[in-house]
Amino acid sequence: MTRSQLLPRLVMAMLLLFTAIPFLTLLSASLQPLGVSPRGLKWPSNPRWSNFVEGYQVADMTPLLMSSTLIVIGVVPISLLIASLAGYGLASLRIPGARWMLLVFIAGLTIPFESLITPLYFQMKSLGVLNTRWAVILALIGLFMPFGVFWMRSHFVSIPNEISEAARIDGAGPWQAFWRVHLPLARPALTSLAILLFLWTWNQFILALVLIDDPSLRTVAGALGAFQSQYGTNVVLLASVSVLIMAPTIIVFVLFRKQFSKALLEGAVKG
Amino acid sequence: MAPITIDRVDKVYPNGFHAIHELCLNVEDGEFLVLVGPSGCGKSTALRMVAGLEEVSSGLLQIGERVVNDVEPKNRDIAMVFQNYALYPHMTVRDNIGFALKLAKVPKKEIARRVDEAAQMLELSEQLDKKPAQLSGGQRQRVAMGRAIVRQPAVFLMDEPLSNLDAKLRVQMRAEISRLQRQLGVTTIYVTHDQVEAMTMGDRVAVLMDGHLQQVDTPQNLYDRPDNVFVAAFIGSPSMNLYEAELLDNQLHIGSHQLTLPESVFVRRPALREYQGRRIVVGLRPEDLEDASITGPVPSGTTITSTVELTESLGSEIVVHFMLDESRVDPGNPDAAEDLSSSAVARFDPRSRCRAGEAIDIAVTIDNLHYFDIDEHTAIWG
Repeated sequence: MTRSQLLPRLVMAMLLLFTAIPFLTLLSASLQPLGVSPRGLKWPSNPRWSNFVEGYQVADMTPLLMSSTLIVIGVVPISLLIASLAGYGLASLRIPGARWMLLVFIAGLTIPFESLITPLYFQMKSLGVLNTRWAVILALIGLFMPFGVFWMRSHFVSIPNEISEAARIDGAGPWQAFWRVHLPLARPALTSLAILLFLWTWNQFILALVLIDDPSLRTVAGALGAFQSQYGTNVVLLASVSVLIMAPTIIVFVLFRKQFSKALLEGAVKG
Repeated sequence: MAPITIDRVDKVYPNGFHAIHELCLNVEDGEFLVLVGPSGCGKSTALRMVAGLEEVSSGLLQIGERVVNDVEPKNRDIAMVFQNYALYPHMTVRDNIGFALKLAKVPKKEIARRVDEAAQMLELSEQLDKKPAQLSGGQRQRVAMGRAIVRQPAVFLMDEPLSNLDAKLRVQMRAEISRLQRQLGVTTIYVTHDQVEAMTMGDRVAVLMDGHLQQVDTPQNLYDRPDNVFVAAFIGSPSMNLYEAELLDNQLHIGSHQLTLPESVFVRRPALREYQGRRIVVGLRPEDLEDASITGPVPSGTTITSTVELTESLGSEIVVHFMLDESRVDPGNPDAAEDLSSSAVARFDPRSRCRAGEAIDIAVTIDNLHYFDIDEHTAIWG
């Protein structure tokens, strides 16, 4: 190994440790005997795997998992559909003012999401969906649009114009060209976007907290509240439930890791 | 099958760029017309206007009896082959070829029959279930052809369909496309920047430059009687040597060289007489120049003496570069930015023993020289 290779590898190893140590600490904490206050990364001599079962029961996670799943089902497909339609329109159709619309979407990317929470609260209230899952679903669909539209547009722009023209000459109108040619071709971009939107929806916490009063209608991240009280925190069970909440994300990542790194690279090159 | 009439068609882009100037062309029923010119000359724009992918700014565009200026591409009864083939990557070859028929709601059985027929014609039967990515360049090109054939359109439009293939395959596909077109008898407009393709494939060839039609004629007539300096230099390879010259008492002075023009030249080109005592442009095709040592005796006043700069032996011929002490004329082809200080080129018989650095007598076929007005760059005929 030459010197020029050594340095990047060292940096990578450091970054890996920075990422892995907190996670391993969390995992080791989740396996400690109940009642202790784990400090730092220390693997227990008798790992208590039953903590996961106990944490799951104490936090009553089944309705919360259901709730999160429902919210994901409400958010991801609709976001994909709207984002690809809008992205296609902005990329491939001649629309008066398309440039300005795109600028508005890009501007949307720069607005910090936290600054929108209060207006969103009143918006949902006036729509009459406050304290229902629709509040989170509608808000997330809206919040994902700048990124989603931008993402899909970047994909559609990269498709050679001749393919659209060939479809036009073959007799396809804009709708047929979209459904039969462009959407099938957009599968890689759609898959990456679906994964990203799933992760962001699954990990959503603050929006559900603000817009929904009933904890059982919120996302699964809300389960953590069960272990935190005014008088103390059950750190071991808190850690074990945290691991459970992260599990679907990790599984999705492992299953789709190729798509995922491609998605991140795509963002790096085009975004 | 239908004739195409392009009548004083203009194309001006919104940014003011005038791509096509009053183009007039008639393509006869079943004819293979090649549009040729350097890049940016407007040939693709013209083709895309016929396809309906570009709007016509003014003028009249007719396919058959119908004016199609405002007709959607899909209703023009045309099929187009694109330079990069524009196959649908997610569909099999079968679906690619049958896509237009599917959209037109042709019954499934009929689609299958026509796709199989086209595949057989193009030797694609084995590839029907593959995706375009699994095909070679030549096969993709064939699929693009298949997509055009299967619709049985009135007009084929082809936009440089061979330019992505390697040289050997291009020669083969050139012949195949010509054969198919003759077999099907479909009116075809074919765009290329390659004059060899233009000459070998076209029933007629239209030469475009800067959006202006320069000349449209059969390949042989373009070669024999180019209307202007641009066409003269564009058709033929290597290019025609174009030099300034002076015509004095039937003597053509090219720098210090002198050629005697026989009376027959003036009989064929009466207008040339009016150029006595004036400067003109003379064009010498490389194939009309030969090593005088192997031609046998030649009449006086038909040779040029020069020094060989470079020889390139191609086996069947020797390309010889030599200097002439006269100004070269730029034909204005942006793709072949002329180095005006470069040498003239001749194609010698391989028996020639000439070598670089040696003096040489070059026999000129006087009857085949071309003459152009020095200001207008137009051919002098009369």
